[in-house]
Order: sequence, then C-alpha cells, then structure tokens
Amino acid sequence: MKRITAVLMAVLMITGLTACGEADPDKARESIQVIAMDTPMVFTAYGEKSTHAVYMAEDEARRLDALLSRTDENSVIYQLNHADGLGITVGEEVCGLIEAAEAYSQATGGAFDISIAPVVSAWGFTTDRYRVPDEAELAELLTHVGSEHITTAEDAAALDPGTQIDLGGIAKGYASDRVVAIFRENNVPRGKAELGGNILVMGDKPDGTPWRVGVQDPAKPDEEAYAAILTLEDAFIVTSGSYQRYFEENGKRYHHIIDPATGHPADSGLTSVTVVADSAEGNGTMCDALSTALFVMGEERALDFWRSGTYDFELVLVTEDGRVVVTDGLKDILTEVEESGYTYEIVS
Amino acid sequence: MRSSPELRPNFWDALVALAVVLLAAGCGFAVWGGQNGAAALTAVVSVDGVETERLVLADTGETERTVESNGYTLCLRLTETEVWVEEADCPTQDCVHTGHISRSGQSIVCLPARVIITLEGGQPVDNGVDIVVG
Repeated sequence: MKRITAVLMAVLMITGLTACGEADPDKARESIQVIAMDTPMVFTAYGEKSTHAVYMAEDEARRLDALLSRTDENSVIYQLNHADGLGITVGEEVCGLIEAAEAYSQATGGAFDISIAPVVSAWGFTTDRYRVPDEAELAELLTHVGSEHITTAEDAAALDPGTQIDLGGIAKGYASDRVVAIFRENNVPRGKAELGGNILVMGDKPDGTPWRVGVQDPAKPDEEAYAAILTLEDAFIVTSGSYQRYFEENGKRYHHIIDPATGHPADSGLTSVTVVADSAEGNGTMCDALSTALFVMGEERALDFWRSGTYDFELVLVTEDGRVVVTDGLKDILTEVEESGYTYEIVS
Repeated sequence: MRSSPELRPNFWDALVALAVVLLAAGCGFAVWGGQNGAAALTAVVSVDGVETERLVLADTGETERTVESNGYTLCLRLTETEVWVEEADCPTQDCVHTGHISRSGQSIVCLPARVIITLEGGQPVDNGVDIVVG
C-alpha cells in the first residue's frame, strides 16, 4: 500500500511540475515567418493563445494581400483600376481605406497620394524593370494623379479614366492595425510583428523591460548598424527610406519614394523617416502613410506638420548631411549610437 | 527498542524510493533543465509558408540543396556553421546578396520564389536590439 502511495505521489509530482511549466504565459510563445504583401513578415506572440493568434495574423495578412493587391486580377483594387472610369462595389473596408488615404493626402498637401501608382510603375518599381521615364511621359501621367480623380460613396468607388490607385502605402500599416486587434482578441500579453518596414511591439518583453527597436542606419543598409535605438512598449514604428529600394543609371541613384508634385524620386534631403505612435488601432495605418508623406515633405515641412498637432505621433529623421533629428516626445527613450557618426538634435 | 520487521525498510522500499527520486529528477530536468540549453543550430526552409526541410547544421555538414518554387530555382549551400544561397535565377537576386547567415534568428528571403531560410536554435544573437525597423 505504501509503495502504491509513493508511486502515486511521484505521478502527482510529475503532473504538478508539468502544470507549473504551462501556467507561465511567457513559456507559451509562438513565432512564424511568412511572405505576404510582397514582403517578409514575422509574427511573434506570447500567451496561452499565442499559436492561434499568430496563425490568425497570417490569415489576415493573406486576406488583405488578396483584397488589396494591385497586380492580382482577382483583387478589388485591380478591378477598380481596370473599370474604365465606371463605379464598382469595393466593399466598406476598401472604401474606408481609400477614404483614409484621401484624408492623409489632404492633410499632407498631397505628399501622400495613392493615385501616384502609374508614375511609380513608369519608373519600373512595381515590375523590377527599372527605367528613367522622360519628362513628357511623366507630365502626361501626372495629369491623372490627385484626389480629385477618385470618388467614393459608402461601399463603392470610381476612378477617372487613366487614373489608377495603389494602397501599398498604407496596406501594411492597415494590416498591422488588424494584427494588434487579433492579438488583443486572443489576450496576447506581449508580442511583436514585423511587416516589412512596419513594426508593432505589444506590451513589454518577458523580462519586464521595454522592447529595444533599432532604427536602421540608412548609410549602411546591409549591416547591423543603427542610427538610433528606441525603447518602446505598445507602439507602432514605421520607417520609409530612400535606401530601401532603388536603382542606378548612368551613375545616378533613383529611389522608390516618388514625389507626387514632380513625378521624380523625392529629393528632400532626408535618407529616412521613422514615425512612432502608440498602439491604438488605426495608428498603424497613420504611421505608414505619414512616413512616406513626411519623407517627401522634407525636414522643415515634416517638423511643421508634427508641430501642427494634426495627428499624435513622434519622429526620427535621418538627414543626408549626417544628422538624426528627434522630436522631444522620444528624447527619454532614445539611445544615441556613438559609432554611427551622426549628430543628434532634439526638436520641440 | 526494536522496530517491527514489517516497518523495517526492505529492498522493494528502496527500489520505490529510488524510482520516485529518479522520476522527480527527470521531470525537473524536463521542465526546467532544457530551457537553458540551446538547441543545435538548424536551418529551416519554408516554401510559400509551408516548412519543407529542417537541417541541423552540425549533422548535415557541408552540403547543397536545390529549392524550386514559383518557377525559380535556388541553390542553397550549408556548412556546419553557416548557410547561403550560392545562386538563384530569380530577378531580384536579393537572396544571393543577403550573403552568409550564421546566427539564430537570421533569415534569407527570396520574395519572387516565396522561399524563406531561417536559422533557429544555437546561441541567441545579442546585438543590443530586439527588432529592427527600416
């Protein structure tokens, strides 16, 4: 009898220890890496439902990819772009995104514009067949660019003939908004998501400290080199930079961030713009749109826009002349990187 | 005072006690002991989101793998310490230009072929940041 009791106690001990291992939510960690929206994505979640959460995030990214792709013939955006000026039903979600993009375009004086798509294509950035278009071609294409060529109503949209849109400038930001919603629905206490240049950090790290986010040094894009390090919890961080995609012709470099005012790659004196905001749903989309717009606007106009208080966000600007300009909301959570060679300026 | 022969520990009692101690020790190691020990550095190949191969570098040694996906072919080279794409017929060549990866968490991504090669296990990388934006 005593022997049986001893064996039972051992079994109970095993069960108890195993249960201890499962009770800690930080032991339940799931991380997956996928390709969607033409970019690698990594979803990492902690908590009991971490596995469910990351696979839901993957499904959502793929759903949005199919819905918003400009090149997939089955996508709503492709059909809208090829509707020859007719209005079509795009659904409330897509209509809402187009209207959000229009709002960011208005707020930034046209520096962000989803109808710049044909101009971007003329430079070859959508097909990887790079070329420098001539001025006459650009001038003709620019006549179809602008908010006035886009009409939305409830769940329908229409484009003027010759106008095409690409939601690529906010699609990954919107996807990150959906990821944060999915993580919250699944009670994920902490996690992170990387969607190309769009980052979400949720909660703190398992050791209780904030996430350390390195801002890639634009001068050394292929190295583990940072222009600055930010310590953040519950935040979206999005970077747009001229180093991310470019080609060279006749010794001149042409990058992928096109200024809707000129049809040429933005020549704003910046090499990267990083926008930071809290993880409230919707801010992922905002950070995505603003990182592009503020790159086009350049340092002075970007800081004026930040000071206007139109939206609640903070900035890290890296300039061509070797400065890192940081808005004062980040001054206490920014670590300078001495070996980067940059000089640092806090602005208010 | 002499104890009753029934209460005196015998061989079988000792065996049960030993079994309890071994089970407890084994269980404790399984629950806590494994967490500090790093798994072997492993290359995980996934195609279009589906894991197709998992190669422990120390076991496979110097070897090659051909990965075909989405109409493109990648020639993957592995040694005991690193992995790289030797050549590929994809248009961007980003996978080739990524170069050699040798530390846990590093990846090679080929967007046209929809192939991801990730290193797992081994010693975690401590480069001062948890995530990079840009």
